[in-house]
Amino acid sequence: MAWTAPMIDEVTCGMEVNMYFPAED
Amino acid sequence: MTGAAPAAEAPPIDGSARPFLPRGVRLKFCEVRKSWFLLAPERALKLDQTGVAVLQAVDGERDFDAITAHLAAAFNAPHDRIAADAGRFLAALIARRMVETA
Repeated sequence: MAWTAPMIDEVTCGMEVNMYFPAED
Repeated sequence: MTGAAPAAEAPPIDGSARPFLPRGVRLKFCEVRKSWFLLAPERALKLDQTGVAVLQAVDGERDFDAITAHLAAAFNAPHDRIAADAGRFLAALIARRMVETA
């Protein structure tokens, strides 16, 4: 795998965040 | 701003700083999306392969110099370039309070 500058892709929708990643702990 | 964005400019990280994920922040692979995410309460950042590699090297023990040396060897890439790219990436995460340094 070649090195490329890391990119950040912000998940901006709070509902989407909670749907995929419900609070676990 | 939405969508993929280059890590924003922020102060460079000192080579002796030891980055770590603060309490409540974790790296997680999402089976649904087949992608890695950095998760914090109510927030998620989708990561690319090099971003994951940087954060997998962030163990709270290694300092930034050791992390860049590890990545330079793993990717067979110039140390200076890795240090610049990884430094910008981690600085952007520090600005979001998703990484801290000791």
